[in-house]
Amino acid sequence: MAMKINRRAILKGIAGATVSLPLLECMLPARSSTAQGAPRRYAILFAGQALGCDNYAKNESRINGQSVTEGGHYIADTGYGRGFALTTPLLPLQGMEDDFTMVSNLAIPFNANSSEGTAVPTAGAYRDFHGGGCSPLLSGTRSTSPEYVCNGITSDQVIAELNAGQTTVGSLVVRSQPGFYVSGYSFSGRQYISYGPGGGRNARIEAQASPQVAYRSLFQGFVPDDDDDAARFDFEMRARRSVLDLVLEKRAQLVNNVGRADQERLERHFDEIRDLENRINALPPVVSGQCFVPPDPGADPPIGGDHEGGGSGTVTPGSGYSDEHTRSRIFADLIHMAFVCDLTRAASLQITAFQSHMNARPIADGLGTLAGTTRPARWASVGGDLHEVGHNGDPNNRGQIPSAGLLQWHVSHYAYLIDKLRNTPEAGGNVLDNSVIIFTAEAGHGLQLNDGSSQNQTHSVENMVMLMAGRAGGLNPGEHVNANRAHPATVLITAMQAAGYQGNTLGDVSL
Amino acid sequence: MLLRIAGVIGLTALVACKGQIGQSEERGGPPAVDPILAVESGVRRLSQSELDNTLRDLVGDDTAPAARLLNEDEFRPFDNDYTIQQASEALITSLEALADQVAEATLADPARRADLVPCTPASAGDEACFRTFLEEFLPRALRRPATAEDINAYVPLLAFASEDNAVVDNDFYTAVQLAVAATLQDPEFLYRVEEGTPGSTAGLLELDGFEIASRMSYLLWASMPDDALFAAAAAGTLDSPDGRRSEALRMFDDPRAREQLHRFHAMWLGYRSIPHTPELVAAFNRETSALIDRVILEEPGSYLRLFTMNETFVDDSLADHYGLPRPAEGQGWVSYEGTGRAGILGHGSVLAAFSKFEDTSPTQRGILVRTRLMCEDVPRPPPTVDADQPPQGTMDAVCKYERYAEHRDQSSSCAGCHSLMDPIGFGLENYDVAGRYREHDDGLPECIIEGSGEIVEAGSFSGPGELSQLLVDNDYIDACAVQQFLTFALGRPTSSYEAELLQEMIESFRAGQHDFKAFMSNFIASERFARRAQERL
Repeated sequence: MAMKINRRAILKGIAGATVSLPLLECMLPARSSTAQGAPRRYAILFAGQALGCDNYAKNESRINGQSVTEGGHYIADTGYGRGFALTTPLLPLQGMEDDFTMVSNLAIPFNANSSEGTAVPTAGAYRDFHGGGCSPLLSGTRSTSPEYVCNGITSDQVIAELNAGQTTVGSLVVRSQPGFYVSGYSFSGRQYISYGPGGGRNARIEAQASPQVAYRSLFQGFVPDDDDDAARFDFEMRARRSVLDLVLEKRAQLVNNVGRADQERLERHFDEIRDLENRINALPPVVSGQCFVPPDPGADPPIGGDHEGGGSGTVTPGSGYSDEHTRSRIFADLIHMAFVCDLTRAASLQITAFQSHMNARPIADGLGTLAGTTRPARWASVGGDLHEVGHNGDPNNRGQIPSAGLLQWHVSHYAYLIDKLRNTPEAGGNVLDNSVIIFTAEAGHGLQLNDGSSQNQTHSVENMVMLMAGRAGGLNPGEHVNANRAHPATVLITAMQAAGYQGNTLGDVSL
Repeated sequence: MLLRIAGVIGLTALVACKGQIGQSEERGGPPAVDPILAVESGVRRLSQSELDNTLRDLVGDDTAPAARLLNEDEFRPFDNDYTIQQASEALITSLEALADQVAEATLADPARRADLVPCTPASAGDEACFRTFLEEFLPRALRRPATAEDINAYVPLLAFASEDNAVVDNDFYTAVQLAVAATLQDPEFLYRVEEGTPGSTAGLLELDGFEIASRMSYLLWASMPDDALFAAAAAGTLDSPDGRRSEALRMFDDPRAREQLHRFHAMWLGYRSIPHTPELVAAFNRETSALIDRVILEEPGSYLRLFTMNETFVDDSLADHYGLPRPAEGQGWVSYEGTGRAGILGHGSVLAAFSKFEDTSPTQRGILVRTRLMCEDVPRPPPTVDADQPPQGTMDAVCKYERYAEHRDQSSSCAGCHSLMDPIGFGLENYDVAGRYREHDDGLPECIIEGSGEIVEAGSFSGPGELSQLLVDNDYIDACAVQQFLTFALGRPTSSYEAELLQEMIESFRAGQHDFKAFMSNFIASERFARRAQERL
């Protein structure tokens, strides 16, 4: 199928004004819904890494100290249209070629002439890459500081708002990487990819980083089939409600006796407990059809220790890894079943944090062995943390292939979720037919945002790529689309519309 | 394209570059009460560490459940900054899971159950025994006397103990377990809520004995009060400065006080989770803890010895690691004579902190000294600088000093700020990421390290010993230590309105010959410790 991309000029650069961006017409959903009555779901999966390595072109690598020139490793290094070849990062999606579309050549605008916060163009990025990229990428709003803050609502929460009151859980917001891992430092905002209405610090949505707790909060409310089990369940639920009632009854006594600032903090806490109780008191979900209570994942894998936040010389085995692989798989299982059971219709999974310092070695060594992954023909153990791998932290293994292998691991969790959804029948089709699932990495690969001059850099908001799977709202996946520097939020808006969103904007970006 | 900051590089530019930490104007204008009289405080949620310590002391759970189930705390640099705490759905669901798990595990352990319930129930619905348990447990958990209303609210839980239910294995302890789970989710347990009663000055609130007891225990122990402290609160002892002082002195003798001092210093100086082998980290911790214990607790005297001590506590392997003479009896104090080291800045723990790019970072070490020991604010690099890349220098630059040349280039914008940091770090370059002495850059014998450094406003030095002396002689350390302590004690950054208070505390620290234990005791004994003011919105 031929590309149809509207090539209108990209930006007027008028601060604060809503700007029009090119349409991705070929992806536009049909206005008719495919499955009668089936809810439409939306999920976004996030990888805290870039698409390549600094100073390496998309076909250049260094493996075991040897320079290699070889294509097919950069995620979008493949033909456009249908039937495109799967590149190294996309290998986990083998057999799912018709279930997802890849949109490449996305770009976030920035001001090449000024690094001032006030000079950032509409929907653009502040010139400090890691902290400045978050807001335009996920909320379509400009960032004006290096702080990791989205200045508007994120796409998953638009869908959560859309479905408010229709499911027991507003949205499922989870994170696989539980620790920041750099000695002496903290996440400081890198752990948020979901923001509620208005954005900003107070709208940050804390992700649940414990698979065990996420499982519990989603599936504890199911009434067991067996009569005795159901009677025990009834007892436990009554006890649980009584406990929460007891806590909530203290609200007035505690809140009325403190000052205004303290009141605000305590009210927020009590509000959250009340919401928990409301979720418990909601009609219990029912096991039926494909919806059942998945097996208890058990205790969480232990949380790994800190390292120096560097390359292969300092990030030693045993540090900086909390079995993010298993954690991601459990979260994907939970998103799948939460969608199937219609517990929620919006989810976000942050596999790795912004500027992730997760130890790359366990992933690099496990590639090909870890379920769903494929080891590239040329491969060697990559040392360093994920962030430093992008900055060539391993002298012998750097460039496109190591980066592509680690990105593939992120994509494997995406593929795992898609595969589960499409293998779950629903309303004459499958759940993926009524879902739209986005995958995005933190960065692209190209002109450096910071200095505005170096090429082939990881600190880049150019050549960004998003994957969009599912057929919700009549989406017709299976293509590689050249976005011609459209804003990544245009893909999110398309996906949001497929999930039922009636508007055509996200932040400052419009379709 | 680099952002160029025009202007003469020199002290004027330096002044423009730096600020003082904690000097931001706070919202709402000046406080209602002079901070000299009473300091503003807000509700503080227990940090992960405080919650784990409290669960250990309250119900004997030493498995650190909060570290497992709650999201990581932000360290700024301390873990207890309540101004950034925000309740969330994730927090509440984690807290419910934590409460359930801790309650279940506590009741499943016969010894811990016996500690919790001081009576033997005559029946599943034995209300008298249940009340006895609540009368013991609730005051400890809520850290104040329990009212009849508090206790009555729990009694309905007994129905779950006595319910005749064929499929549930319920008994008296079912109700106890639910009561524990409810209490552990009670905001009054999870937060330190201070109310106080109006005092002589408008806006000033006098704390009651139990509120004071919690202030003391979380400051000195990072945990709840023990029985003796509760008794002192009940007896009114803590209402007087002398009473608070004598309790504080008793509490200093508890191992929890040592742990807390170690924790405070590790967060402050950035070495709380250094990236070395567990064996080396343990050895560094023994070394640094021994020094902290000695200068604060064991040999009362000047705290400045933390930075100037001319010997250090090592075992044989750590002595070999540093190249120091081995101690006499397997472990002990050995002299720093002739090593260029002194005090804690000579320790591997601190020298391992603030490294970057797989090596020591002169810039990061400079930032450590500026922000943590001089209490200055170092601005971020301009956005156009990619701080994820090590400085490259010119094409042929091999040695680290040359690779950092751009930071010194007076014609570039970099030197304006980097001249504040890098010269400090280069004065420590002879000490590697593991605190070992080195003559040259790692793996580059041709790159001889000169090792001379400078604090531009104060003078030049070489090595941690001279740096410490320079910081001490110029009155940086004592002033900054007081500010760091106050930040930790308040659980928030100090505000510009508290400058006078800070100055008074610094003068008092100096007047007391820098005796840190006496300084902390005086802080607790002071009138203002027993008071608060409400926060402005």
